[in-house]
Amino acid sequence: MLKYLTGRNQQGPGHTRDNADTELPSPGRRGFIIGMAGAGLTLAFARSPLGLANPARAVADGAFEPTVWYQIQPDGRIIVNIAKAEMGQHIGTALARIVADELEADWDLVELHHVDSDPKWGYMVTGGSWSVWQSFTPLSRAGAAGRQVLIEEGAKKLGVPPDQCRARNSRVIGGGRSISYADLVSSGNISRSFTDEELKQMPIKPASERRIIGGQTRALDIPGKADGSTLYGLDASLEGMVYGRPIIPPTRYGSAIKSIDDSAAKEIPGYRQTITLEDPSGTVPGWGMVIADSFHAANLAVDRIKVDWSAGKTAGVDEQALLDRGRELIGTADQGVLVLDEGDVDGAFSNAADTLESEYITHGVLHFQLEPVNAVAREKDGRWEIHTGNQWQSLILPVLSKALGVPEDRIVMRTYMLGGGFGRRLNGDYAVPAALAAKALGRPVKMVLTREDDTLFDSIRSPSVQRVRMAFDDDGRITAMEHHATAGWPTQVMAPGFMAEGVNGKYDPFAIQGALHWYSMDGHRVRAIPNDLANDTFRPGWLRAVGSGWVNWALESAIDEAAHKAGEDPLEFRLQRLKAEGRNAGSAPNSVGGAARQANVLRRVREISGWGEEMPADTALGVATTYGQERNMPTWTACVARVRVDRESGRPTVEKLTLVTDAGTIVHPDGARAQVEGAALWGMSMALYEGTTFRDGNVVDNNLNTYTPLRMRDVPEIEMEFVDSTETAVGLGEPATTVVGPAIGNAIFAAVGVRMREIPIRPEAVLAELQKKADA
Amino acid sequence: MAKRLSLAVCIFLFAGIALASWRPPPSANDERDQGKFDPALVKTGEVLAGIGNCSTCHTVSADKPYAGGVDFPTPFGTLYSTNITPHPQQGIGSWSREDFFRAMREGVSADGSHLYPAFPYTHYKNVTDEDLDALYAYFMTREPVDHTPPENALRFPFNQRFLQWGWKLMYFDPEPWQPDPAQSDQWNRGAYLAKGLGHCSACHTPRNAMGAEEKDRAYAGALVDNWYAPALDASQPVPVHWDEEALYQYLRSGLSANHGVAVGSMGEVVHRGLNRAADDDIRALATYLVSLSGEENSTEQVQPAEIITAAQQRADTDHSAGEMLYVGACAACHYNAADKPMAARAELSLNSAVTAEDPTNLIRVVLEGIGTDSGTPVLVMPGYAALSDSDLVALAQFLRRRSGLPEWKNLRQRVEELRELHRQSQVTEAQQAGE
Amino acid sequence: MAIKFKINREPVTVDVPADTPLLWVIRDDIGFTGTKFGCGIGLCGACTVHVNGRATRACITPVSSVENTVVTTIEGLAENGHPLLETWVEAQTPQCGYCQPGQIMQAAAMLRDFPDPTDEQIDQVMSGNLCRCMAYIRIREAIRMAAGRLRAAAPQGNDEDREASHA
Ligand code: FES
Ligand code: FES
Repeated sequence: MLKYLTGRNQQGPGHTRDNADTELPSPGRRGFIIGMAGAGLTLAFARSPLGLANPARAVADGAFEPTVWYQIQPDGRIIVNIAKAEMGQHIGTALARIVADELEADWDLVELHHVDSDPKWGYMVTGGSWSVWQSFTPLSRAGAAGRQVLIEEGAKKLGVPPDQCRARNSRVIGGGRSISYADLVSSGNISRSFTDEELKQMPIKPASERRIIGGQTRALDIPGKADGSTLYGLDASLEGMVYGRPIIPPTRYGSAIKSIDDSAAKEIPGYRQTITLEDPSGTVPGWGMVIADSFHAANLAVDRIKVDWSAGKTAGVDEQALLDRGRELIGTADQGVLVLDEGDVDGAFSNAADTLESEYITHGVLHFQLEPVNAVAREKDGRWEIHTGNQWQSLILPVLSKALGVPEDRIVMRTYMLGGGFGRRLNGDYAVPAALAAKALGRPVKMVLTREDDTLFDSIRSPSVQRVRMAFDDDGRITAMEHHATAGWPTQVMAPGFMAEGVNGKYDPFAIQGALHWYSMDGHRVRAIPNDLANDTFRPGWLRAVGSGWVNWALESAIDEAAHKAGEDPLEFRLQRLKAEGRNAGSAPNSVGGAARQANVLRRVREISGWGEEMPADTALGVATTYGQERNMPTWTACVARVRVDRESGRPTVEKLTLVTDAGTIVHPDGARAQVEGAALWGMSMALYEGTTFRDGNVVDNNLNTYTPLRMRDVPEIEMEFVDSTETAVGLGEPATTVVGPAIGNAIFAAVGVRMREIPIRPEAVLAELQKKADA
Repeated sequence: MAKRLSLAVCIFLFAGIALASWRPPPSANDERDQGKFDPALVKTGEVLAGIGNCSTCHTVSADKPYAGGVDFPTPFGTLYSTNITPHPQQGIGSWSREDFFRAMREGVSADGSHLYPAFPYTHYKNVTDEDLDALYAYFMTREPVDHTPPENALRFPFNQRFLQWGWKLMYFDPEPWQPDPAQSDQWNRGAYLAKGLGHCSACHTPRNAMGAEEKDRAYAGALVDNWYAPALDASQPVPVHWDEEALYQYLRSGLSANHGVAVGSMGEVVHRGLNRAADDDIRALATYLVSLSGEENSTEQVQPAEIITAAQQRADTDHSAGEMLYVGACAACHYNAADKPMAARAELSLNSAVTAEDPTNLIRVVLEGIGTDSGTPVLVMPGYAALSDSDLVALAQFLRRRSGLPEWKNLRQRVEELRELHRQSQVTEAQQAGE
Repeated sequence: MAIKFKINREPVTVDVPADTPLLWVIRDDIGFTGTKFGCGIGLCGACTVHVNGRATRACITPVSSVENTVVTTIEGLAENGHPLLETWVEAQTPQCGYCQPGQIMQAAAMLRDFPDPTDEQIDQVMSGNLCRCMAYIRIREAIRMAAGRLRAAAPQGNDEDREASHA
């Protein structure tokens, strides 16, 4: 998700980036400086070439690029500054690891420092999968530069020529002796700079020489998460703060408070008042905020306060209306945007020997990040501080500026760990009501949403309707495919600047990711349509894998339908079409190998999953594959699900998931496994256990009593493998999410012959299909 | 309808004989002197008061022991217990030994008015002189508390005390119980305690329309004070039969791994009543009470492990909303290895709150939780009042299915009623806290 | 209302309304923030603490009901040292980490009742603890590892809340 936001923002819309180097545009053109600052040694990209002349001075003046920098302390600790949100992907560790490897650092001495939002950090956004890939080259160079300087310095001290020295484990070794980085830093007066050209020539170690990348080093953020010492947004606490709990209006937009009656709340000890939020940014229209001395008092008060609203126009919207609107839009030819229109699609359909057309539905999914959203806000000396966990500070800062009526540079977002992101905290809308309440009261407010509030205010994964059509020639070849997808569009609603240019207009790239598949066929048309009713009713969100989560459900189910129609083995059918020809051949540096690599993961999953073996009754394997989200940064993924269907209840049980992933270089194998485990189980959870619907303008499921994500006892056996590769490292946090659902659906078909076209797949629906089949 | 009719007839009948019902006060007795009571006798009285569980009914707050005021919602209105401290005006300080004996055995107050049978003189009549003397000594040496309990709030005509005379005529047999020579001494001791001070059947026996225990359904289980006192007779639906040892353990500690824990009224009986009684008496009670089921010698016992395994297997294929709630809310504490159920992990397939005929106890425990003062002494079970009525129904239905039992009929209604009761008690608590 | 109990071995008296959930008292009044808030209705386990050594969901436990008990939070468990904290790091279990203190508290209580748990037992007891990051496989693994260490380290530690436990 959001893998190329930074690039776009800084280089202008429409720029197609195909080289990791361009991701961090400035550092590489300004050189690198190394100099003492205070007692420690600072290593950073220079802000301007002028700094190269006097590195110590430049460091002391802070004249360096803050995005990537680190310090070595006299005691040997290496502190790597991280401007990314930490939400389970151990991003800080991954970034530090790249530096530390080239630096030949002792991993035990590496520490992370998470920084607050500040214009100097540049554009702040953390999309789950893209940070590592984006930063790999600059971080490697930053580490290598440090190593080189320390070796030079060590060589002097050891009296050995630098080319006879090497660095290992935070020590420089030469002439049979060694000296630690700590000693070099505390005794020396290191000052050095590298021009941009020198930096480009920096000897980056060959993959075979890597000691930390690819090894089993531990994530630095984990101990604090086990012993409870890590601070999340919910743990923020400021002097003099009061608690706030919102009263959420009946509709996401267009509600207004007519009156508030809090007389029954007045006797609650600790209850203070209820304020109507005035929000110039339009983020939280119709919100009330209950203020109390404790969260408990605020909770009790909310139950006793009566608010009279005029509701927005979506107060009556239900699931059916949303889906019907989607169908209607698909049925209207001039709606939406053509993302791709290749070959003679219409011709293929009019000449088709046969066609296949199916409709696929997905229902809403709550983020349900375990930490309900919250924020503490205060104004201090004319500066606003927002204490909260957030993934995309740069998106919400302008909104906060508008809401508070102060310039952006007077607002700082303090960084906390995120109790789960999954895309929820890309949308920082929850910072706004806290800030507004603090402004209205003139004192710090800690706003906490209950789980129920959090679900009502969630920017859910939109329900979607898709129609896939395929044309076949006499030989059963697919000659053309049409894919029409409609859903709420998060980017359109929240970050319109990031819309992508289609054939005939702008579209939300995140709402159609995954549709631009690598199967060879003559004609391919993809149309993405915003569901306006969805956009009006709720704020559609980016949720783990975003569009691929629903798009690949349709695509990989449809391909499976085509295979069965052709009477071919569904895995072989896919392989036949992954030919790596023409536009599917791939290109350097990110998609080298193209469809051949997708075919490779499929073949591998065939080998290890027991594909083709005899299965017990009502049990079968289903396959699905994906390239991830971006054609120019593919993560090749294949999944086989073994599913047993209980014919009596209709209940599918996933017995095993086998996954093969080719994500290029794996920086941290254990972390990669964790990401794929989590992603695969998310995919399974959304396919079978989660899913909410709309009634009266809101989601019906507000807590775990009716919303039932996968729990430990539901975890199937999981086998996974990564393709051994030294290609560009790409993201891992999302692709597996998108293959599990269709693999399960395809397995159900293989097991009992019914085709499920709606997720979540409920046992009653399977039962109904079985019944239909029996009646037919 | 038949009930109503008989009620009307009774009322008419009672009204006609009202005049005959007044009893003259016994002669005043001024010999009483607290210093005269033998401390050993007082001590015995204390134990007996525990067995009689007097404090539960006569103590509304810990700072006013035995000062009365506990409410008893009955179909006829609400009764309030009296002050039984030796306070001369508010309490029984002016009562003679004879007044006390008469009240205990005949249900007649010192002023001659009839007591309502919520006060179990129907059982206390079986208490020996010796024991009554000890009790008298105990109560007369308590701290007098100046506290006036609220007036009874009974509907007409039940608020006419003289009607009790008629009631006694119909339902009260003043003859004391006699030991059964065919039974062991231990059994007889247990029977004496249960039928007398323990007044077990007062709670465990269903009552008729006039509030009298139904003789032919003794110990068949009944709702009292919005707790369900389970059946102790042969009809008891427990999956694992009680034996003397298990019942002894339960009455002693409040815990039985194969049956559950004592909460609600029974929690008070065990933790604030029977805890003072001697082991021998608890064993005697167990001997007698186990005999009520007529199964004490039964050899065809299903092993707990089989029951638990069967329940777990049923749950495995049950994917209802109730099962999901159970997994999310209950299993962490209630799951047991089939061969080793632990009392502290109350096994719900064996638990009488689930297996009883009536859902009350289960619903109340789920709603209200269990504090350290009840159930397992060191354990806190939080209440799940945050779940909706539908959730509670789904959960209860699942637990019944899991135990292989039919659905409770009045479940939804009981959930709604008990939710309301819980809500009211929360309000009362909040008010008390506010005061 | 003043309510007394022990938390992480220290006696405390808190003066809050009796119906205040223990969770908020621990976090906001006493200041141990390792115990988390996830659902508030007793269905996620993020708020799990020990009361007298038994796992208890603090979000629905009124503080009045822990009067005179011994409460232990993740901070207390960590301070006393528990193999689960080591194995949690070794298995690299946490992702976002938010559920993990609750998971560890539940696991610690479970290992007293089930010193040598089967996978089935781990699943049954731990399924009440939601991990939204779905780190379940590693949670299971870390519990198994810790169980082995606890059994090997006989005689067992004799910490305070263990004595109070009524297993
Ligand atoms: S917050 Fe207590 S169980 Fe979820
Ligand atoms: S690690 Fe994120 S919820 Fe469990």
